[in-house]
Amino acid sequence: MSFAGLYERLFYQALRIRLVEERVVALYPSDRIQSPVHLSIGQEAVAVGACGALAPADLVFGSYRGHAFYLAKGGDLRAMFAELYGKATGCGGGKAGSMHLAAPEVGFMGSSAVVASTIPHAVGAALAAKRRGTGQIVLAVFGDGATEEGVYHESLNFAALHRLPVLFLCENNGLAVHSRIEARESYGIVRHARAYGVPASTCADGADFVAVHAVVAHAAARVRDGGGPRLVECRTQRYMEHVGVGRDFDAGYRARAECDGWRARDPLLQDTALVGRWTPVIEREIDDAVAFAEASPWPEPAELLTDVA
Amino acid sequence: MALAYRTREEPAAVWTYREALHHTMREALARHPHVLILGQGVDDHKGTFGSTLGLAREFGAERVMDTPLAEDGMTGIAIGAALQGLYPIQTHIRVDFALLAMNQIVNLAAKYRYMFGGRFAVPMLIRMVIGRSWGQGAQHSQSLQALFAHVPGLAVVMPATAESILRIYPWVVEHYRGPVVSLEHRLLYDVGFHVRPEAWQVDPDASPLTSRRVRAGRDVTVVATSIMVLEALQAAEHLEQAAGLSVEVIDLGCVSHPDAELILASVAGTGKLMVADTSWRAYGVCAEVCRLVCERAPRALTAPVVTLGMAPAPCPTAKPLEDLFYPSLRRTTDALARLATGRERHGIPLPEEASMADVYKRFKGPF
Repeated sequence: MSFAGLYERLFYQALRIRLVEERVVALYPSDRIQSPVHLSIGQEAVAVGACGALAPADLVFGSYRGHAFYLAKGGDLRAMFAELYGKATGCGGGKAGSMHLAAPEVGFMGSSAVVASTIPHAVGAALAAKRRGTGQIVLAVFGDGATEEGVYHESLNFAALHRLPVLFLCENNGLAVHSRIEARESYGIVRHARAYGVPASTCADGADFVAVHAVVAHAAARVRDGGGPRLVECRTQRYMEHVGVGRDFDAGYRARAECDGWRARDPLLQDTALVGRWTPVIEREIDDAVAFAEASPWPEPAELLTDVA
Repeated sequence: MALAYRTREEPAAVWTYREALHHTMREALARHPHVLILGQGVDDHKGTFGSTLGLAREFGAERVMDTPLAEDGMTGIAIGAALQGLYPIQTHIRVDFALLAMNQIVNLAAKYRYMFGGRFAVPMLIRMVIGRSWGQGAQHSQSLQALFAHVPGLAVVMPATAESILRIYPWVVEHYRGPVVSLEHRLLYDVGFHVRPEAWQVDPDASPLTSRRVRAGRDVTVVATSIMVLEALQAAEHLEQAAGLSVEVIDLGCVSHPDAELILASVAGTGKLMVADTSWRAYGVCAEVCRLVCERAPRALTAPVVTLGMAPAPCPTAKPLEDLFYPSLRRTTDALARLATGRERHGIPLPEEASMADVYKRFKGPF
């Protein structure tokens, strides 16, 4: 695939993620995906913009809302669908499901269902990268809710104290499950990080993957040059319910109008020419991955007790 | 007998628990450039009760790293470092503080290998110290091995002797690819132990994460953990001297991976079982060893099992209450004599001193 510049390249990746997740939505009623899914539809631009600004050897630690970062970092699509199906060919051999995707071969170092719990792993990996002189930087990906967890503060402190090459990336969709940020946080995420001595900036339009790319690339370069940790907050919008494949604007915790503003400037909805150009080829790739998952075997019974300790 | 207190005849073969800890920490740093020690005060003038003393000066503050008061975060940082090729040794000067890290230990470290289908390994050692006596109280004295051993994915050890440390720590640093939780007993730090020459042979294929028979006997089996191994050995010696009873003692050693065959074979021979643990008896090591026997060899028992452990309460600080809280050597010996003889009034004279009395008297805290 050849692209005319950064916009097209990132657009293609973002569209691919959206179509993958829309396929998940379509497949879900079949009950072949027996795993809770936390979809990134609406937030894809953050993943592709951020991962696009990293080097291939750089590492990413994600969260349960992890499909987008898994794919943006280069995780294999067949292995992802096979994992959602619980098949032996999945990226976790059928033991991970949607919430624990990993692709260490491309630097996607896993994702956890416990909010904020991989943030210190990114800091520890950065400690190892610094000690071993690998030149890698490490991206810690988390949502706004994660900044309320104690371990986030512990991680910021240690990373700043030891000037570790870690980039904290907050996907701020303003929601923790169904709780709004103004009901949860007494602080601003960027100002708070600065209090730890962590330079921080905001990308106000997290739907603009080129803008995200620019902000993250700027921060990543400083981190890589030994400037210590940084934080980037990307404002974004979760189109779907917290977990599952539905939309829940009727649930009363947020208004559809909030989402409409984002949709009006979402390139994946507005740039219909590119959507039309690439949808067929991406759908064929997805067809292939789904067929691979369907045809793959279940894990052997012996797998139940394999890799426990 | 494998274990004994320090004797003057063989000074070269006698190590205190503390000396063994310091030796293994130093050797790990010296032999393996990827090892680092992380913990509160590991570089200070007390050096984790002496076990890391001077190592920051020798190996640098980047490898023997004082940490913020952030147990959960530091455990996660250790996991991340382990994922990227370092071997972290983390210290908690009280096991009670490790409760702040339970999310990272239970939800992450224990599961990282399995839940990603074997794509990752988190080789790391988490050292936790159990406090006891001199008014340590409710939050400085717990023995939480059962909490950790309950969770698949963790290897949980309780070294009872200097030799156990010399066998286990170098092996796990070099050969084991998962998280190991070690509960070290503070009162053992000053005790000297014979170390047999074979303890220095580290065989990659012979995992020390198992149980060991430390005293052979015919009349009754004692399965014990940590300092209770020493208590059981003292009680066994006493009963042999006083009444000719023959007590077998098994050091459970690896709480998460006990040698069930060893225990079952012993119980098959003696027909009688005492489990002596450092913790509460319910839902813990006592209950687990009973499960093994009940499931696999219930007919081997000729008498009900006897269990010893802490009283079912938080630890009090007042000395008279604290003395009741822990099993004393006298109570341990009495229970063992009743089990071995099958008589409530066994008539065997009991030892007068409190258990480990000399050690307790020397232990004056604070730290």
